[in-house]
Amino acid sequence: MARVNPEFATEISKSGAGDFKACFNCGTCTATCSLSTTENSFPREMIRYSTLGLEDEIKASLKPWLCYYCGECSTQCPRQANPGELMMSLRRWLTSKYDWTGLSGLMYKSLTLSLAAFILALVGVIAFAGSVGFELEKMVHFGHYFEMIAIGTVGFVILLPNIIRMWWFTIHKPKTKVPFVNYLKATGDLFVHMFTQKRALGCDDNQFRWFEHFILVLAYLSLLFTTVFLDWFAATNLFIIVLGYIESVIIAVVTVDFVSSRMKKDKAVSKNSQPSDWFFVIWLLLMGLTAFMVRLFIDLNLLETNKWLYLVHLTVLVQWALIIVPFGKWTHFLYRSFAMYLAKLKA
Amino acid sequence: MKERIGVYICHCGGNISDYVDVEELGKMFHAEDGIVIAKDVMFACADSNQKAMVNDIKEHNLDAIVVASCSPKLHLHTFKNVATRGGLNPTNYVQVNIREQCSWPHSDKPREATVKAAGLIRAGINRVSHSESLDNIEISVKKTVLVVGAGVSGMKAALDLSKLGNEVYLIEKDYFVGGRIAQYEKLFMSGQKGKDIVAALYKEIKNQTNITLFTGATVDKVSGSLGNFHVDVKVKPRFINGKADKQAVKTAMEECRVFIHDDFNFGMAKRKAIYKNYPEALPDVPVVDAEALKNETDFVSKFSAALNLNEKEEILSLIVGSVLVSTGYDSYQPAEGEYGYKTIPNVITLPEFKRLMELSPDKLIYNDKQIKKVAFIYCVGNRQKKGDNKYCSRQCCTSTIYTSLQLKEKYRDITTFHLYRDIRTYGKQEILYDQSAKQGDIYLRYDEKEPPVVGLDGKTIIVKVKDYLTAKMEMEVEADMVVLVTGMVAREDSQQISEHFKIPIGSDKFFNEIHPKLKPVETVIKGVYIGGTCQGPKNISESVQSSLSAAAKISALLKSGTVSVDPIIARVDADVCTWCGKCANVCDYTAIKEVDADGKRIALVNKAICTGCGICAPVCPVNAIEIAQYTDMEIESMIDGFMDKTEVKEKDTTAVEVVETGGVRMKEYPQIWKQILQTMEGTKKSIPQVATEISADPNVVTYHMMTMNKYSVVMADGMDEKEEYFYYKIKNQ
Repeated sequence: MARVNPEFATEISKSGAGDFKACFNCGTCTATCSLSTTENSFPREMIRYSTLGLEDEIKASLKPWLCYYCGECSTQCPRQANPGELMMSLRRWLTSKYDWTGLSGLMYKSLTLSLAAFILALVGVIAFAGSVGFELEKMVHFGHYFEMIAIGTVGFVILLPNIIRMWWFTIHKPKTKVPFVNYLKATGDLFVHMFTQKRALGCDDNQFRWFEHFILVLAYLSLLFTTVFLDWFAATNLFIIVLGYIESVIIAVVTVDFVSSRMKKDKAVSKNSQPSDWFFVIWLLLMGLTAFMVRLFIDLNLLETNKWLYLVHLTVLVQWALIIVPFGKWTHFLYRSFAMYLAKLKA
Repeated sequence: MKERIGVYICHCGGNISDYVDVEELGKMFHAEDGIVIAKDVMFACADSNQKAMVNDIKEHNLDAIVVASCSPKLHLHTFKNVATRGGLNPTNYVQVNIREQCSWPHSDKPREATVKAAGLIRAGINRVSHSESLDNIEISVKKTVLVVGAGVSGMKAALDLSKLGNEVYLIEKDYFVGGRIAQYEKLFMSGQKGKDIVAALYKEIKNQTNITLFTGATVDKVSGSLGNFHVDVKVKPRFINGKADKQAVKTAMEECRVFIHDDFNFGMAKRKAIYKNYPEALPDVPVVDAEALKNETDFVSKFSAALNLNEKEEILSLIVGSVLVSTGYDSYQPAEGEYGYKTIPNVITLPEFKRLMELSPDKLIYNDKQIKKVAFIYCVGNRQKKGDNKYCSRQCCTSTIYTSLQLKEKYRDITTFHLYRDIRTYGKQEILYDQSAKQGDIYLRYDEKEPPVVGLDGKTIIVKVKDYLTAKMEMEVEADMVVLVTGMVAREDSQQISEHFKIPIGSDKFFNEIHPKLKPVETVIKGVYIGGTCQGPKNISESVQSSLSAAAKISALLKSGTVSVDPIIARVDADVCTWCGKCANVCDYTAIKEVDADGKRIALVNKAICTGCGICAPVCPVNAIEIAQYTDMEIESMIDGFMDKTEVKEKDTTAVEVVETGGVRMKEYPQIWKQILQTMEGTKKSIPQVATEISADPNVVTYHMMTMNKYSVVMADGMDEKEEYFYYKIKNQ
């Protein structure tokens, strides 16, 4: 027996949901969705759960992650209830529920808090730079180590427990019986979806959106690899240097398109931007751009006289690694792929 | 007996003559006694034929005519007019239906259709030969109308009737006008307040010199009929001295300290024993609850000039030409325990809730509890599959949703839950539903099979419901108040009103019109009309529309001062009648009375009331009562006529070539069959082959050959007996 909770509508609207309460349950959204299936039928069900405030049901559901937001449901909705945006908001809300620290939720709801965190990171970087006397070599050295430490810490302390919580809510709590061998069998799906996002190809809109996203992910992951494991900034191998340039340029170009699309609001997916969305695309752009500039300045022997550039890059890096990756929109990279994995287990 | 009868048999183009041999029938009847003319005509209703008939009547001095054509529903009046134009009484005309009753239903048996047509025509001839010349009954009517019920429908109708030049008596049972809408604050869709509308209408009524309003007035006795109804109206006393100074009455009201149950507010407040329903209630004269002031002798003597506790009720005798009944509805009253009504605190009905809102200007508080969450349960007492009230009350969905919008506007922080079965906010009202959903009202859908259950968890009201929109999930709704959206039911006193005016009551207990589309405000009682919700659930707009159309109908009826009614009514043979009263007992309209005729007790039929239904005729033990135009003589002669053996001669075959092929007489079947049969003769040919050989459209050939196959006339190649037409078509394309 579930208790109707009208407060939930207020909570979810803080995550950006619009007029979903206008829904009169015609089901056009579900009928029009090209990803919705008999077994995994959405978005109407999610709208219904949200209207009634059935938090447990929403938490137990993977459906918000199965939507790749082509926006067709919102276009077809006879009541302008914007189901696509509700699904987006539910993803934000779920992100904050999976996060054991609770910081995710706080930052989604409060722009002030997010800005404070960004400023704190900036102050930290400057303080650190001051402590080493603004010596470039020490700063670059630290920057390189910071990346590795941050990846390890954030991954094991924040992200791994969060993924376990996601499993807990969606598989364990609803008492889904999954034989152990299935966990192994499904790993193939996990990686395929993680690196290809191929489900988005099933969406109704053009596949260019998928392609842009696909190369962005590849560029981002390989730049991460190039800087962290191949130590791009210290590299002397021409191949590695050129590789890094290409990756950072791709990131910058694609994210410029994403940012301009959000400004123009020309696609369903870019119509409603929350602060978290802006932070994510802008910081990704800054990452690509500053990394490119730093390497360029190194190659032109200008970095020594332009230490500020590295400081900017380091600040962006720290903010990205400590705020956006663990508590911001970056997590959708993990949750989306794990949702496909867990959905496979449930099937 | 008529001896110069004209008989016209219509071809109706080919509608009749394709199957019924009308030419043969014409010849047959022409030879009979008493028939001057019998002929077949291509279109009996055509202008040219009508003129010819008029000429025939005059030239041949016809005394009766029969037209055998289509249904009298279509052309009875056409040919009655022809009779009148020819100088005949229209009652000497009989229409026989040989199209809907012969050619169309018996197209597969043309010979039998012709025989049946002959029988029907003969019955018609026999009937017309016994027909009498009867004139319409003219009744003089009084241009005065009684409007029963001064709600919004009654008031609007009274105004229109008066403006159309009728004298109007408007009577209201309550002491104040306005009916139900006075109880409601803002009304959808305009947002106007009910009492403001009432005040405006009242002002207008007061400005009309030919409307007389009686409040506290009920119908006591009704007699008479169309044009001259005698209605006794009982007027209850107000116990206020009519001549008293207004200020003195006001002071008495102010100083009164005796409080009584406030019916207007459903007992949610108390009112003084000298009261008005609400401060602006009209007429602006309070009412005294004399019973409550019985022992207040000091008070009564102090205000003896203003009060008159000895006032008696009055009976007024009115004579009116017509009556408009607009008595309205009652709200369904839930049984004790129905959804916790009266057994669980804070469960009230929608009308009660609306009064509560009116009584709570700032905060919504009930039973000392501030109300923040309201659950509405829809369709209470309505749309019952098993109960009596199977209908939908039309206005409650919108009313509830509008209330929900008002709630948010008035008290801000309120959450509403709507437990509904279907939302019926038809027409422009849909906008409100949209607004309600957008403001965050939560809708849960239940089914009548699994209605919500209202219960208590400690002191909290919990409504449990299976939500059909969430895969029938069991949901709990926590609420501070449950509002039962009760629909409309017929008034408690509708039985009495019906008995007074003889208005029939439907199975839903509302008053019945004659025909929902074509006579929507007329009742079977001539001169008695219904308007508004006494007829069935309506919203305010619809109520006013119906009462205004009744007003227009009444005005048209009374306009000339006389009303002409059909002469088809019962009549009593005074010589035979011995007055046993059986006819009067069965008469639904009380049209029959016992009278004294030359010292003999006999039955007398009131011509204005009798509808000619005929129920009295068969119960008369001495056969003294009969219905004009349906006398025993006429009916028996018709039966005789129909039973007469009719020999329909074979059609004169010399003129038409008849080829016997496959045992089928070609005359009876379409021409194309002949061609097909000739082509097929002894050989097996497929449909495309046949089509090519006779150079006809293959689809047409397919259709006909399938039909021929069905009647086992012929079978095409590649087609077996069981295959259907479309199947064959698909297979061979």
